[in-house]
Amino acid sequence: VSSDLVQILDGNTFVVSDDRGDIEASSTDPTGLFSFDTRFLSKWVLTVDGERLSALSVDDLQYFEARFFLVRGTGTVYVDAKMSVIRMRAVGDGFIERLQILNHEDEAAKIRVRIDADSDFADLFEVKDALEKKGVRKNRVEGGRLVLGYERGPFVRETRISSTARASVDELGLSFDVTIKPHGEWTTNLAVVTAIGAAGERHERTKYGHQRMEPRPNMATDLETWLADAPDLRCDWAPLNEAYRRSLIDLAALRFRPLAMAGHALPAAGLPWFMTMFGRDSILTSLQALPFTPELAQTTLRALGAWQGARLDDFRDEDPGRILHEMRYGELTAFEERPHSPYYGAADATPLYVVLLDEYERWSGDRALVRDLEYEARAALNWIDEYADLQGNGYVAYRRRNEETGLENQCWKDSWDSISYRDGKLPGFPRATCELQGYAYDAKVRGARLAREIWRDPGFADRLEREAADLKRRFNRDFWVSDGGYFAIALDADGRRVDSLTSNIGHLLWSGIVDKSKARSVARHLVGPALFSGWGVRTLAEGEGRYNPIG
Amino acid sequence: LRSSGSERRRSPTAAFFDDLAGRGCEPLLRNVSGTIRFDLDDGESVEHWSVTIAEGDVEVSHSRARADAVVRLDKSTFDGMISGRVNAMAATLRGELVPEGDLSLMTMFQRVFPGPARA
Repeated sequence: VSSDLVQILDGNTFVVSDDRGDIEASSTDPTGLFSFDTRFLSKWVLTVDGERLSALSVDDLQYFEARFFLVRGTGTVYVDAKMSVIRMRAVGDGFIERLQILNHEDEAAKIRVRIDADSDFADLFEVKDALEKKGVRKNRVEGGRLVLGYERGPFVRETRISSTARASVDELGLSFDVTIKPHGEWTTNLAVVTAIGAAGERHERTKYGHQRMEPRPNMATDLETWLADAPDLRCDWAPLNEAYRRSLIDLAALRFRPLAMAGHALPAAGLPWFMTMFGRDSILTSLQALPFTPELAQTTLRALGAWQGARLDDFRDEDPGRILHEMRYGELTAFEERPHSPYYGAADATPLYVVLLDEYERWSGDRALVRDLEYEARAALNWIDEYADLQGNGYVAYRRRNEETGLENQCWKDSWDSISYRDGKLPGFPRATCELQGYAYDAKVRGARLAREIWRDPGFADRLEREAADLKRRFNRDFWVSDGGYFAIALDADGRRVDSLTSNIGHLLWSGIVDKSKARSVARHLVGPALFSGWGVRTLAEGEGRYNPIG
Repeated sequence: LRSSGSERRRSPTAAFFDDLAGRGCEPLLRNVSGTIRFDLDDGESVEHWSVTIAEGDVEVSHSRARADAVVRLDKSTFDGMISGRVNAMAATLRGELVPEGDLSLMTMFQRVFPGPARA
């Protein structure tokens, strides 16, 4: 997203606009109001007497609200400073926008204010493709409101736009004929409500109504509670205090509340385009935030456990016991043109699920959750041996069964060309990447602790420990690139080492799978000249066939 | 549950619920307690199937009493779900079924639907 775009967000509802607050979506400018992976506004343009406005400044107040200060005219030299226009926008089940116009003159101002509005109802997956829609778009005026609608059979999405000031409403916007007294002002509150479904979830108001916008929306209260609940950190060195506070706010912005979790939040994968439940990302962020916000881990474990794979489904790459990769709610998912309902194509999320459960209990002492999720944790451990050993050699590997829309690489690096030999060639499938073996080892060791101490199943614990020790022994033999002194990124379909030097070996250090005698050499590589750039660890070492310093 | 006829004439819906109720404790539902009612509409009438789950133990009746979650859908869609042809989540996103009430019950319950037939 380019830097002059302004974003505000609440979970998977977000608004991306230009610095005037306007939305004019195109395939190169993916602006709009989005919710549940659907664009609900692709046009939202303010004019005064038919003219666009210019931005004086933007206040990014919080991650969920922004304020735009505008003047009339778009000229670079002259702007009409007789009038100020202020748009104050807060997101939540759509957004609310307070539009305020101040007349600075001694004479009354007679103006025509207009908001043009429309929506293409694009799926998030298609905003850059400008695909032809398969359903029907139809806007209507209903009870003084403008309703933008989209229907494809029973699939119904609507955007309902209303104003507190009297407006003349047509199918493409709202107009106001306004007279503002000398040194007076005019205000209206616009509500843009997203509605899903033909009956069940049609509602009339945003989550944070105008009456609650002052003195502040509920979200501000929510953010204050979030900050107050986190551990207090004080340090003589001021930048650390600031970095800590900023990190907590950023984590708050990353929260996503799954519908079935009654208000509880887990960390999404990234804002704004990845605001949904992910296996890998939700687990690893929860893990790293455990000392500060353990409630994120609890929700992640419960939500991913509820959606744990329960059957074989090739389209979704689902197996019994497998933890999901990604959930989406848009039209392409609904009509099974994409498999994200949810999609299970990740080989790391399942062992990492057990890792998180154990680490969560160590920080929180919450044994009840470990007992509640015993079935899910055992199913995850079973998946490692029963469904993930695709090469029959005792290693976790992946190969997609959905060859059209599934993911080729179902591991830490999930872009299509991320796994290569030194000469740049790509291996065939299945692929058993090294970090997956580290996670599997860690899951077995941690699963053994849970089995022994909490599930009271010492036999299972013994078995897991034996398997872990065996995996560690084989791994240090089979993955070791002896002429390089590091672990191969993967074993290919024939069990041969995919021998490039990559950052994946860093994951092995925290998993515990690395022999002590090899750890030092691995660490040296991570901070050595081929992998360490001075800014951070390169994903692929300089000198490897596919190395590209800007790619 | 009153049997509506011989085993041969039993509908797929009845077979699905009979099987579920006969399993004893269903481990996929052992953290679940509550009642979920399916209102199945075949265009002429609505069949009510009320599933009461007590930590995995399942009882099924035709009660129309208040439930924690109510799911209304076409009977043909439900037949698709219990035979693995229709994915419950995708059907929900399409608007083919409208769950009301406690959404977590439906999330947990969808785990007992079978997967698609595999080639």
